Amino acid sequence: MTAEKPLPLPDAISQGFWDAASRHVLVIQRCGHCGTLAHPPRVVCANCLAPVPSWTFQPVSGRGRIRTWTVMRQSFLPGFKADVPYVIVEAELEEQKGLRVLARLVDGPQAAFKAGSPVETVFEDAAEGFAIPHFKLAEA
Amino acid sequence: MARSRCEVAIVGYAQSQTYRHASVPIGALTVETCLRAIADAGLKKEQIDGFTTGSILPSAGGRTPVDGIDIVTSNWIAEQLRIHARWLGGFQGAGQIPGSVILAANAVASGAADYVLVHRALSNPQGRYHENPMTRAGGASQWMAPQGFWGPPAMMALSYMEYMQRYGATREDMGRVVVELRKHGARIPWSYWYRNPLTLEAYLDARMIADPICVFDCDIPIDGAVAFIFTSAERAKDHPHKPVYVAGHAQGNLLEPESMWSLDHAQQAAPLTGRDLWKSSGLRREDIDLPELYDGFSPIVYLWLEALGYCGRGEAHLFLREQKDLTRFFSSGGSLGNGRMHGVPPMLECYLQLSGRAGERQIANVKTGLACHSHPHYGGVVAYSSERL
Repeated sequence: MTAEKPLPLPDAISQGFWDAASRHVLVIQRCGHCGTLAHPPRVVCANCLAPVPSWTFQPVSGRGRIRTWTVMRQSFLPGFKADVPYVIVEAELEEQKGLRVLARLVDGPQAAFKAGSPVETVFEDAAEGFAIPHFKLAEA
Repeated sequence: MARSRCEVAIVGYAQSQTYRHASVPIGALTVETCLRAIADAGLKKEQIDGFTTGSILPSAGGRTPVDGIDIVTSNWIAEQLRIHARWLGGFQGAGQIPGSVILAANAVASGAADYVLVHRALSNPQGRYHENPMTRAGGASQWMAPQGFWGPPAMMALSYMEYMQRYGATREDMGRVVVELRKHGARIPWSYWYRNPLTLEAYLDARMIADPICVFDCDIPIDGAVAFIFTSAERAKDHPHKPVYVAGHAQGNLLEPESMWSLDHAQQAAPLTGRDLWKSSGLRREDIDLPELYDGFSPIVYLWLEALGYCGRGEAHLFLREQKDLTRFFSSGGSLGNGRMHGVPPMLECYLQLSGRAGERQIANVKTGLACHSHPHYGGVVAYSSERL
């Protein structure tokens, strides 16, 4: 039996993110009081300390720049063992300084990239009702 | 300065042999080690009236750990030893060694207990450490596991890669640290790596786990146990071995959710831990003979050097390049030179060296030490002194 890849288990504060992802739209949580964006979604705004009910999800460009990365040479998740080596990047989205999203870089370890390389978001339909956002190298 | 400074001392210890997989359950190894520590302090078990530890990890297969088999709590030890405790504490955070020591020292200083046994038991679980067969990822893991991103080595890899890119540190820089740790570990009889040092060439050729983290940047999971006996400075005078005093302590905590592995956050929050340590102990960096750093993943060494002010932000690898002799930072062998004993090696080294019990490894004229554990912005550090300051 092939091991399954884990699917997200949405919760009260992440449901909106995964609902939008299933429609291939990247959204980021936005504080209704001060407009600060936060990812992953959180309970209290880091900037103004406003709590949950003020949050909305805002569609974003999905474009950003690689800040750091790793090449996964082994996986602790059985469903990914056949996929190694693969690249995970943390990219800073262009909408806000320090707003980082972690995702697989679909171009793989042979691609030419470095800190600062531009990326855009692509979606993988993982299961009925679930799409996972990944990054892909983009034109500068 | 903390009112409890040098009011509490370590008066005895025991460390077990370490094993990839011991032939007995970790609970049995730990009970035997605790009894030896009690005897080492010249006590009978009935005199122990306080217990504390931090018992998190191991994790494997998504199973719930079983007390006495996978983990060992203080309550379990008290039950097995059939001791009625006046005080039982448990530390819940990540820097279990400083966390437990701080609880123990304050329990003794406040009079909640006269003799506190602090133990730590680490076990290597069946199956692969950190492997997880989850099919749904909730909480923090929903942002990682569906991408194939899982396990501390990969998390460390992201921030270490960022450090290397931003500041120009090389794998050779880290190789020198790891080789130094293994050199000292190879001289420690209970170490998993006893008589087994590492060359720089072997480090650079090692199997990569998650670039730039190789297998030797990660401590090897083992079975092992340690126990220390704490009591008041007044009572400590009447014990067979020279006391080593708790001179100060500090702990870190995240100022952002889920930011344990963020380089930016570490560099922002870590210096607060260093600041609190100097304030608590009344010591200055120049007063410290043995600043024993934590190395459970090798890059954490860099964060501690920054936190304690040995170098500026992003300069740890440059600072280490300038040091002719790295002994004072790494003589414990650390986790990379002993096996996964978490914060135990730096603490044990402080105790052995400052009490004059390090045998052929004894370093001359050492009076003060630091024992670091976990990340500076997530774990903690304890200052020890061979004299009452």
